[in-house]
Amino acid sequence: MKNQVSVLFFFLFFLVSTAQKSQYPTTIIADSLKENANAVVRLDQMDITIASQRSMNIKKQRVVSVFNEKGLRDIDAYQHYDKTTSIKNIEAIVYDAFGNEIKKIKKKDFRDQSAVDGSTLFSDNRVVYLDYTPVSYPFTIVYTSETETSNTAFIPQWYFLGGYYVSVEKCVLNVTFPNNLGFKKKEFQFSEFKIKKTADTDTRLSYEAMNILAQKAEDLSPSSRDLYPRIMMGLERFHLEGVDGEATNWIDFGKWYSDKILTGTIDLPESTKIKIKGIIGDEKDPIKKAKLVYDFVQKKSRYVSIQVGIGGWKPMLASDVDRLGYGDCKALSNYTKALLQAVDVPSYNTILYGDRYKSNIQSDFVSMQGNHMILAVPNGDNYTFLECTSQDDPFGYQGTFTDDRDVLVVKPEGAVIVRTKIYEDKGNTQTDKGSYSIDENGNLSGHISIVSEGSQYSSKSRTETLQPTEKDTHYKEYWSNINNLKLGKITFANDKQNIRFTEDVQVSAMNYGVVSANKIIFPVDAFNQNKSNIKRIRNRKNPFQIQRGYLDTDEIEINLPVGFSIEFLPSNFELKGKFGEYRTEIIKKENNKLTYKRSMFLNKGKYSNKEYDEYRLFMEQVSRNDNAKIILTKN
Amino acid sequence: MTFRTIIISIVLILISINTKAQNYELGKVTIAELEEKVHPRDSSAAAAMLFNKGQVIIYDQGYSESFMQVKIKVYKKEGYYWSNFQLGVQPGKEYNVIITDAYTYNLVGGKIVKTNLKPEGEFIEKTNQYYWNKKIVMPDVREGSIIEFHCKVYGEPLYIRDWSFQKSIPVNYSEFKTTIPDKFIFKKSFKGFFVPKVKSVTAKTYGTTAMETTYSEENLPAMKEESFVNNINNYTSGVSFEMEGINVPGIFSKSLSGDWNSVTKTIYEMEKFGLELKKTSYFEDDLKQIILEKKSSDEKITAILNYVQTNIKWNGYNSYACNEGVRKAYQQKKGNTAEINLMLTAMLRYAGLTANPVLVSTRENGIALFPNLAAFNYVIAAVETPNGNVLLDATDKFSMPNVLPLRAINWHGRLIRKSGSSEEVDLIPKKLSESITSMSYVINQDGQISGKARKQMYDHNAVKFRNDSDGVKQDEYLEKCENTNTIEISDYSRTNEKETLLPAVETFSFAGKDLVEIIAGKMYLNPMLFFAKSSNPFIQENREYPVDFGFPFSERYTINIQIPDGFEVESFPATSGVNMQDNLGIFKFVSVVNEGQIQLSILHQINDAIVPAEKYEMLKEYYKAMIAKETEKIVLKKI
Repeated sequence: MKNQVSVLFFFLFFLVSTAQKSQYPTTIIADSLKENANAVVRLDQMDITIASQRSMNIKKQRVVSVFNEKGLRDIDAYQHYDKTTSIKNIEAIVYDAFGNEIKKIKKKDFRDQSAVDGSTLFSDNRVVYLDYTPVSYPFTIVYTSETETSNTAFIPQWYFLGGYYVSVEKCVLNVTFPNNLGFKKKEFQFSEFKIKKTADTDTRLSYEAMNILAQKAEDLSPSSRDLYPRIMMGLERFHLEGVDGEATNWIDFGKWYSDKILTGTIDLPESTKIKIKGIIGDEKDPIKKAKLVYDFVQKKSRYVSIQVGIGGWKPMLASDVDRLGYGDCKALSNYTKALLQAVDVPSYNTILYGDRYKSNIQSDFVSMQGNHMILAVPNGDNYTFLECTSQDDPFGYQGTFTDDRDVLVVKPEGAVIVRTKIYEDKGNTQTDKGSYSIDENGNLSGHISIVSEGSQYSSKSRTETLQPTEKDTHYKEYWSNINNLKLGKITFANDKQNIRFTEDVQVSAMNYGVVSANKIIFPVDAFNQNKSNIKRIRNRKNPFQIQRGYLDTDEIEINLPVGFSIEFLPSNFELKGKFGEYRTEIIKKENNKLTYKRSMFLNKGKYSNKEYDEYRLFMEQVSRNDNAKIILTKN
Repeated sequence: MTFRTIIISIVLILISINTKAQNYELGKVTIAELEEKVHPRDSSAAAAMLFNKGQVIIYDQGYSESFMQVKIKVYKKEGYYWSNFQLGVQPGKEYNVIITDAYTYNLVGGKIVKTNLKPEGEFIEKTNQYYWNKKIVMPDVREGSIIEFHCKVYGEPLYIRDWSFQKSIPVNYSEFKTTIPDKFIFKKSFKGFFVPKVKSVTAKTYGTTAMETTYSEENLPAMKEESFVNNINNYTSGVSFEMEGINVPGIFSKSLSGDWNSVTKTIYEMEKFGLELKKTSYFEDDLKQIILEKKSSDEKITAILNYVQTNIKWNGYNSYACNEGVRKAYQQKKGNTAEINLMLTAMLRYAGLTANPVLVSTRENGIALFPNLAAFNYVIAAVETPNGNVLLDATDKFSMPNVLPLRAINWHGRLIRKSGSSEEVDLIPKKLSESITSMSYVINQDGQISGKARKQMYDHNAVKFRNDSDGVKQDEYLEKCENTNTIEISDYSRTNEKETLLPAVETFSFAGKDLVEIIAGKMYLNPMLFFAKSSNPFIQENREYPVDFGFPFSERYTINIQIPDGFEVESFPATSGVNMQDNLGIFKFVSVVNEGQIQLSILHQINDAIVPAEKYEMLKEYYKAMIAKETEKIVLKKI
């Protein structure tokens, strides 16, 4: 008993003596948390209180110990706001390594600025953020904020681990909600992390996680969203910018979206309807009609993103797009839809995640998702998807921004989840045909035609729009293996009908062949060297993925200089494996001529961390063989 | 000449003036202009400014109004960028900016159709507390469209915005007109390769006399980005103005700036500069301890620089004026450029040295060509010594005496003495920043290589190395190094990581399996291995602007190669070299083969920080020759 008293006394004393200090001195952080970490999140807590369908309060508390400059980005002391989301309170306190308070930062000392990204022209979204210059490392910031919003259509996702090279000591999520709004959640990647569910009732949900170690970024990894634990949350009865909504399944959701968001946005002036009908003429085939309409939209409009209030969700009126000739993805998709309707072709607004990295709309979680909109035109049993923000894309081409992923096609009678077009690896081709000559001083001159199709079309066709100096730089980087490269005539053919882009390029280069004594040495493969440098990663942890495969085939004629004979010719080479197939062949012809043939096929796929080294070795062999050299000796 | 011909020629002149003038008025779009498919002088142009006219009127009462008229032709989709326009406005003063006569013209079925900008296409972005943006989005823009608008800004202070004649697209005609009452004296300065025509006439504004001056240029090519350029704005043709004084006979006359001396004097007399520089009480006690044992000037300089570098952090803001003041900066241990370097200057003075602030324009700010207050945005410190000025900047934690951070190295600065007088200081480094690498390695029978390397870096090279490696975990650093060089590194060590006065040194052992190519039983290798430069950084065919290396430098290598038993050298890169004219640079490659050993010594040295565009071809050829040599192979064959 006596012991207990003294312990209690000691405890009180301890509390009193440290009242002015933070409980987060950096000295007590476990070593395991500091490993690979630029910052340690001591506490990351969010308390979400949903009072009603139209009221949500979010309190955030984030305590971060920063160890170096790179860790500054893990502080995350910022808060967005707009007309419907207000910041009730925001503040930060900075402590030194020992937990002594250095500075208190009040709301007025935060910076307040318009939150527009590079592609948005105007938005009423704003951000309040902390701009703090540390005096020394390590230090600890305690950041707290409270916001209130009437929008309950978006409950923030919760990430237990916010990024790479940062560890988390303690992470807490508390959500309370009325039991009649149909609160739901979906957990992702919980298995390998010890996450405790501390409450899960019809009005409460809580999680807690301790000691999540810092992770390293590794090339070719899936997105951190697909690697680390997170939770999606939503309501079946929600509110968005003045509009109530209710949806328990995609059918309801589609109906709600059509009724409340899209209704009344696709009226067009009669004159425009007449004009588009005139363009269509006697055409009966709906896809051919759609093609003419798409062409009309591409010539008439440009992409300008303006996001104000509900306009962040509701498309601009089609009649306004018609008049102004610009709009964002929603506006332009909707405008195209209106024109198609005028010529009796049905089409549907389609919501998705637009990104090179393929992400799906979560089909089993009915909620507002996505960051982009395209248009779906029924084509037999399938759909043709139109990217309406592009003035250049061929009709129905999905390139690498919207291909191969689950999207939500919103029909008035209900929404459905559909997979977008998959570009098969063998169809993503680059076909090179050309020739080059080497003279007695090792100088190269030649020409090549490069034909790109499938997903390779998307990156290559951009070359057409480059300015002359940019074009020059582009090719000099593309053929960085050829020193002293000089470009001659360059011509392009962009066949949008067949989605095929052709580049015809004349090149020359001094000293391509290295002249040593009486020899000339040069790599046979001048025009298509494998450039993917697959890094060696010790103890790789993450699986890796190749998002898109491809097939390159080259056939190049080589003219050798007179007066030289071949001392060495690389032998034919073949490599086959789960990642793909690679083959090169050199055929000797008369008159010092050679034909070089190369084909490289890469599979798309998802692989385990264990297979990474195998992949690296595969690509290394390809690179090494691409660099195989021919040796000529003077007669 | 008869009377008749005179009349005819006057009429002709009038007509020609008239037609010419018409071309540069709003609302005169022609079918021919709309039909034009490409720009006549630049077929690659995505858009062009058919004209761009600006005007500023200064009123007696001391405010100004400005106007702008723009006519743009869009040739290609990539030119759509020009159909959105933005202008910075003072917070709360958005109603002072008025856009009128904004139309998009298109050719529809052979007829000109114009669409006007409505309020829905105008936006005010309240960017932050310091400035807002007025934005307009022109309607109905397509390939071939012509866009026009008129922009008027009321109630601006006594101030004239800079005018750029050149843009990133071709400009057919650009004009800037100022109306300035005689009592206000403005200093104007021109920059760029093109010189405007200047025409002045007397004008009247509300009874007082004023001068109306028009600056105009025609047929300006698009500005192009180049690599190794200091700041492209230095080369963009333009005119800028700064208020120099007010002159009302019998009342007062004040020169705000004018020549360099009065500019520096004005700055010196600012409270946030001169007064801050005089304060010493806040550091005296601490500084006494720091310089206690220090006798020589060099020791004092080093100790004080180091003290400020380690104790006061730079908050990233540039200015020659203090923000919160030196005292607060000292207490809070952080400050802007002025706070840090004025504090440094004050401390140096307190230690008995002849130290003065030097006003600088950063690279981002452009070169300070003409005397005005905005010409500078930064300040450093200089100590006068018998061997010349020692320049110091404590905002970079690894900078050294006479080794300034790159941002501060921009042609000339202005040194201000206690008396207020000033002089020009050359900021461009003259001393070579050296790096010395020694490497020795052994090749085994299978073509595998193992060896050791040691790299010593001096001056700017050391600063760069320290900044690059600061805060980067060694593992991460090595992993990157191993990956780019395809080697495995062991026994890695660094010396003098923080000892800025000594060279930074890196030593390591390495092993590489893929550095030697074995072809038909012979070994081929680049003797410099991963140190060889394999691509020419100068890929552009022609050069418009000088090449800016930042500082002169030299790279030296001594390499010792042990060839495997049973092999002999069949061929190796012979000794050779390149000397550039005017002592611009030198490349030396010396090779010696001696009983199974190959010794190389290589020097690559550029003596001038800035190479004028006329010498670009020579520089490019120099790099070409160097790379050809460095990529030449040693061939080993079996005995």
